[in-house]
Amino acid sequence: MKAKTAKETVDLYDDLGNCVGREIPLQALSPLYNPYMREVLDLFKRLAVIDLGKLEGLMKKGMAGWETVVGQDENRMPWYGRDLPLVDRAKEIVERIKEKVEKYGDGEPLVEGAGKYIIVKIPRRMMEISASRDPTLTWTAVALCQAVAETFNMTPETDPDGCNMLKGAVFGRYPQSPEFPPGGPVSTFLKQSNTVDGLGSGFKAIMVNHLVALCNKRTLDAVALTTILEQAAQWEMGNALGWFERYQLLGSAYQGFNANNLVLDLVKENREGTIGDVAYSVVRRALEDGVIKVKRTLPSGYKIYSTNDYPLWNAYTCAAVLAAVIVNVGASRAAQSVSTVIGYFGDLLLMETGGLPDPDAGRVEGTGQGFAFYTHSIYGGAGPGAYTLDHVIPRHGSGFVGPCIVAGMCLDSGTQLFSPEMTSASYFKIRERLPLLHEPLKKVAEAAERIKPEVMKG
Amino acid sequence: MAEGKVKYEPQIYPGKDETSERRRKLWDKRRKLAKYREISDDDITRLLGHRAVGALYPSVHPPLEELIEAYDPIKNIVVPTPGARAGDRIRFVQFADSFWHPPIAPHGRLRLYFNRLRGIDVVAYSGRCILEMRERDLEAAMKMLLETEIFNPARTALKGITIHGHSLRLDEDGLMFDARRRYILDKSTGEVVYIKDQMGRVLDNPVPVGRPLSEEECRKLDLAYTWDTHPFKSRTEVLEILSRAAKLRVLAGFNPELLTEEM
Repeated sequence: MKAKTAKETVDLYDDLGNCVGREIPLQALSPLYNPYMREVLDLFKRLAVIDLGKLEGLMKKGMAGWETVVGQDENRMPWYGRDLPLVDRAKEIVERIKEKVEKYGDGEPLVEGAGKYIIVKIPRRMMEISASRDPTLTWTAVALCQAVAETFNMTPETDPDGCNMLKGAVFGRYPQSPEFPPGGPVSTFLKQSNTVDGLGSGFKAIMVNHLVALCNKRTLDAVALTTILEQAAQWEMGNALGWFERYQLLGSAYQGFNANNLVLDLVKENREGTIGDVAYSVVRRALEDGVIKVKRTLPSGYKIYSTNDYPLWNAYTCAAVLAAVIVNVGASRAAQSVSTVIGYFGDLLLMETGGLPDPDAGRVEGTGQGFAFYTHSIYGGAGPGAYTLDHVIPRHGSGFVGPCIVAGMCLDSGTQLFSPEMTSASYFKIRERLPLLHEPLKKVAEAAERIKPEVMKG
Repeated sequence: MAEGKVKYEPQIYPGKDETSERRRKLWDKRRKLAKYREISDDDITRLLGHRAVGALYPSVHPPLEELIEAYDPIKNIVVPTPGARAGDRIRFVQFADSFWHPPIAPHGRLRLYFNRLRGIDVVAYSGRCILEMRERDLEAAMKMLLETEIFNPARTALKGITIHGHSLRLDEDGLMFDARRRYILDKSTGEVVYIKDQMGRVLDNPVPVGRPLSEEECRKLDLAYTWDTHPFKSRTEVLEILSRAAKLRVLAGFNPELLTEEM
């Protein structure tokens, strides 16, 4: 990548304005090198959650084989139901799954019971020889079925219909249907690989609300976590190679990890302000920091600005659109106000700078147009929180839209039908067992500090 | 607005002509919009049609100070609006602006809202601009939207539904076409009167919204570059900005390293 100086650095700040990383080289914030990001991405790939309470209910009511989240009540065959006390016997089921899975691990605990949930991590050994990330789902489902069948002595001889019901409740119509039952008893953080839209979009295949829940609605933490996933996807789809590397690293540092406290400064300055105020603030700040300067003055006195570091200017604009979302949604505390900022903030910057590119060269605004349309009114779509980051509506651009949507949903105070509490209740609970995902913003910086010496040397 | 080490004055919009100056006035929140009329709070409530006059604001969640929210420093920084604090529903108003020398147009509304209002949700279409806010914040904003120079009773309309008419010729009374016939010109008072609310439901008490602006006033307050006031080609500065923006977006999108200081 073309660096402005030999080892370009930024300072990182947390959401209280404390400096948590000084002179961090950009490469230390790359998902290819940052150790914390690597751990998070690894976790997302190989973690699955079993909801035993849900499975118990399904087995009892004979509910299996639905195709959509809203269609869960369609199939009910109580005559095939089995009244199995799964939650009561959770401990035993956990032990059995543990036995099957952990023997391939390298000694780390991989299976954990958490009330009616079981958290399963797939051994690295398996993920490494796998052509995909599918074992997370397949191993968990198979281990669960075997464990339940063993615990309750279900075989084709003792209980053929029961075996069938168990398969149906866990796997649904898979493999006849390509997808496991949505909202079923086994779930993974990321959507199934065969339902992901587009090469390299795996890490985007997660619902906005899940990310909000995993960060307990702490805005800049959720932004950081989303940025890790979005940028990993950018690399995976080849969008961060060559010409774009510095552009991506700078954009994600400033927007995703509050580099040089820009996002927080813009928010604080405009805590009682409007979206427009944020636009003028960022232009002023870019002028102060030498990112842009006056190129020409027109007869009316209007100034045309230019930049000799466009990727850095882009990073400033991406930080600004996030700050504008926070200021606007922070005011209304209604997440629906996210789309308008994403969809039109760019215009303010274009008119204020005399035509310098707006966030992500117009792609944030373009995405915002469709996002505004489909999160409002009768024309289809859903609430902002119900979208996955790889959905056709928000997926466009270089990963700078997702963090804005997530921030908006964190700030919502209860106006949404598709709220995180409704769509992602289990994620709030599971979060308690995953200390890795606590305070991601700080942890990104700490990990970057750890590898700073070797990055600066190399 | 923007304070800091550098003394920065927002420039808002390019152009030397009157239309550009008009746009700068509308979109600069430091500049006050001229007041043309008074519309009572109750009349505003009637026109919006979201609740009965005098009724309490329904809420969708408890007041913010009663909510127990997980720790998030950001929530203590940005100041919520009164409507958000109370837990109001989100409600909307939608305006249509006629082609004929409008004091404002949908895209102009969007930028005005972005600069002057907090906690908004806007979409600008070609024939209408919708604004959603927490209910009491919306009613407060309506004061500016109805009482000042950006509302021409004859050629600006509150149309929550069936918005067709912004591009049609004006009727014999000089009013914008409205398929739902929400407003009439009262010849005895010379005022435009809404006989239905924005959704087209008949009002018990018609709401007068003031006299139409004269043709001369319309031209003076015109937001648009039109052939008979400030022609297309006169906006050379705006055209330069737009074409630069288009070019740079394409080049930057293709390869961010391509942009230079000279462009």
